[in-house]
Amino acid sequence: MPVLELREVTKVFPGVIANDKVSLVLEEREIVALLGENGAGKSTLMNIVYGLLSADQGEILVDGQPVKIRSSRQAIDLGIGMVHQHFMLVEPLTVTENIVLGREPGRLGIIDMKAARERVAEISERYGLRVDPDAKISELEVGLQQRVEILKALYQGARVLILDEPTAVLTPQEVRELFAVVRSLVDEGLSVVFITHKLEEVMAVADRIVVMRDGSVVGEVRPSETDEIGLARLMVGRDVVLRIDKEPSQCGDVVLEIRDLAVKSDQELDAVAGVSFTVCGGEIVAIAGVSGNGQTELVEALVGLRSPQSGSISLKGTDITHASARSSIEVGVSHIPEDRHRRGLVLPFNLAENLVLGDHRLKPYATRGVMHPREITAMAKKRIEDYDIRTPSEKVLASSLSGGNQQKVVVAREIGRNPELLVAAQPTRGLDVGAIEFVHRQILGERSAGKAVLLISLELEEVLSLADRVLVMYEGRIVKEFVAEEADAETLGYYMTGGGGTKLDDGADVSPTGSEVGA
Amino acid sequence: MLSDVITPDLFAAALRIATPLALAAIGGTICERSGIVNIALEGIMLIGAFFGTATVLATGSPWLGVIVAVLAGVAISAVHAVASVNLRTDQVVSGTAINLLALGLTGFLMELWYGHPGTTQPIPTLQPVFRIGAMGEGFLGEVWRWINGVFLSHTPIVYLAIIIAIGAQWALYHTRWGLRLRALGEHPRAVDTAGVSVARGRWVAVLMSGALGGLAGANLSIEQVGVFQEGFTNGRGYIALAANIFGRWTPIGSYLASLLFGFADALQIKLQPFRDVIDLPPEFFLMVPYVVTVVVLAGVIGRAVGPAQVGVPYEKG
Repeated sequence: MPVLELREVTKVFPGVIANDKVSLVLEEREIVALLGENGAGKSTLMNIVYGLLSADQGEILVDGQPVKIRSSRQAIDLGIGMVHQHFMLVEPLTVTENIVLGREPGRLGIIDMKAARERVAEISERYGLRVDPDAKISELEVGLQQRVEILKALYQGARVLILDEPTAVLTPQEVRELFAVVRSLVDEGLSVVFITHKLEEVMAVADRIVVMRDGSVVGEVRPSETDEIGLARLMVGRDVVLRIDKEPSQCGDVVLEIRDLAVKSDQELDAVAGVSFTVCGGEIVAIAGVSGNGQTELVEALVGLRSPQSGSISLKGTDITHASARSSIEVGVSHIPEDRHRRGLVLPFNLAENLVLGDHRLKPYATRGVMHPREITAMAKKRIEDYDIRTPSEKVLASSLSGGNQQKVVVAREIGRNPELLVAAQPTRGLDVGAIEFVHRQILGERSAGKAVLLISLELEEVLSLADRVLVMYEGRIVKEFVAEEADAETLGYYMTGGGGTKLDDGADVSPTGSEVGA
Repeated sequence: MLSDVITPDLFAAALRIATPLALAAIGGTICERSGIVNIALEGIMLIGAFFGTATVLATGSPWLGVIVAVLAGVAISAVHAVASVNLRTDQVVSGTAINLLALGLTGFLMELWYGHPGTTQPIPTLQPVFRIGAMGEGFLGEVWRWINGVFLSHTPIVYLAIIIAIGAQWALYHTRWGLRLRALGEHPRAVDTAGVSVARGRWVAVLMSGALGGLAGANLSIEQVGVFQEGFTNGRGYIALAANIFGRWTPIGSYLASLLFGFADALQIKLQPFRDVIDLPPEFFLMVPYVVTVVVLAGVIGRAVGPAQVGVPYEKG
């Protein structure tokens, strides 16, 4: 008997059918991956199971019994736990407090903190999820915070665990750890629904893959019966090119030249510690590295958001070491920021306003401080067309678009400005394959147009597929440089993690190759 | 002169003046911890004071007056709860509306019930709990005079406020209610997904702040002044909110911050008779407690970080 079964669940939002007669079966000790593009209805479906939304039609069965789930409380009582994409953790509270919230041990309303801590320790021991029970959430790294979320679900007695895009915020290393955790949970008798849009993940972790598109289940396969290309086709509904072929690079004049750049982090640490490199026109240079090795600070220094301590940055011979964000745009630096919500877009603004940001002072969009709505609207309409932004109109708020379309808005603005240098920081973070392909094509288009592109990415796949040259950044330094043909994932990973005896991919020993470059 | 200023009376006055502020501030702490800004404390105090006084005038019983004051505070805060929890209006607007409503309503009822604006007839007040005379002689006698004067000369609600401050502090960090309250203002969705009702938690918190605001009003009218006077809360509700921030959203912090303000106020009262010595206009003295508040809020405590989601209406789903 399946632990969880959905029968023809339908959910209609005003104007959209989010779930159209979706049926799904989860057996005991099974990992089912729910695969689909952003907006395919995966999260909606699972929010229905967890009692956050109610289905318009259809049936939910737990252990073969039909149930009505009207609240999270009921879902929890039925043994269903959910780890949300945006963590449901209270930052100033401790790990233990977060885990027991809602089901606090104790009598007469007084919490027995000792019992709570012991119970948390017991569960984390049993499932091998080690975390300090007295640490505050705000002190923990994202990977550990996620661990707390899983512990919370286990504490609440979950037998079915729903993980909503659990890898979106994790580093590759943390992703591997998560997979190990998921497998050990299944060994302990749990059943897992794993929501994702990343193909390699479902191949790595799932027992069965259920593919959703536009609110419906369009296919169900086992990893052994398919490959990533087949999955991508099922998911997007057309052929998707996962790795775009590109012509050899036609390196032109040097566009960006960085000499001995040193940048401090917010914590006054040496985030970038003496970095030198160049990028020429018609070339994509990728900076590969594990998150937090100075990439963010390097980008911020480049685009005028952070002032370097020493060294120099020049663009086509113009010194922009201490340029402001405005003057850096003026000399031709465009920036796709790593966090589109925080830096890329003003979410409560409409698309036209977002598309004109940065150029809003300039003709033809404004003269002497007065903006010209007609020009802005015309530009917005054209870019929505050119960049295939799926939206009813340019008056729609940026917050209401899907992640992929939001990123298209950022790309449209930054590339539409026709820059000399495009700095693309994690340009496909959180996007599904269709949108990734689009962004990659745009970046390659800049390269063909003879522009310089600096790509910063945590995804090795992306680095290898786009870059002409790869610089590996580790602890604020460029520790290795490769021409693209020499680089492969293992070697890059080796240098990204410090280059000393690190193991990748479940114990496969890695030996360094490639030519040494002075660091 | 110094011995005329630094007397047991000065510190006793500080405690007395701090009491209504502290009660309202703790109300503000509880309310803001749940994620609801309660700028209505000023009005809640006024309503509590008025209905408390009216009850004493009608029945002659100060204690009954206190109870009605608390209930009136709860009732008017329910308006704030409906507006901010259920209707998700802007909490500052709703709170301001209640403050204006309180001024108008109490003024209107003065006319309606007593036929005149301004001040009610005097009422019997709550008397000090302990009445102990001088004891001992010499140094010991002096020590007793201080202990008795500072700590044992007070009316019931002054002590009640101290008990409430300690009790609420303990409850905030040791009870189910406290944990959920702390989580509510930070991340209501986390509370919701843990299967706990956000709306109910916020309702309870708003009503509790109403009860404490009403009690603060009762202290003012039924213990301290012995009348109701239109608008006589005189900004105490706002000072209480500042005390809550200075106290970093904790009950004991709120109490101590109120005590600081109370001391500044008591000191300026004590200094008033010495105006010929210090040669400053009387307004200067009146200003001191407020200057202390501003300086403390702006300078001494630095950046105070409140609950992350305070003032943000919660929407399910």
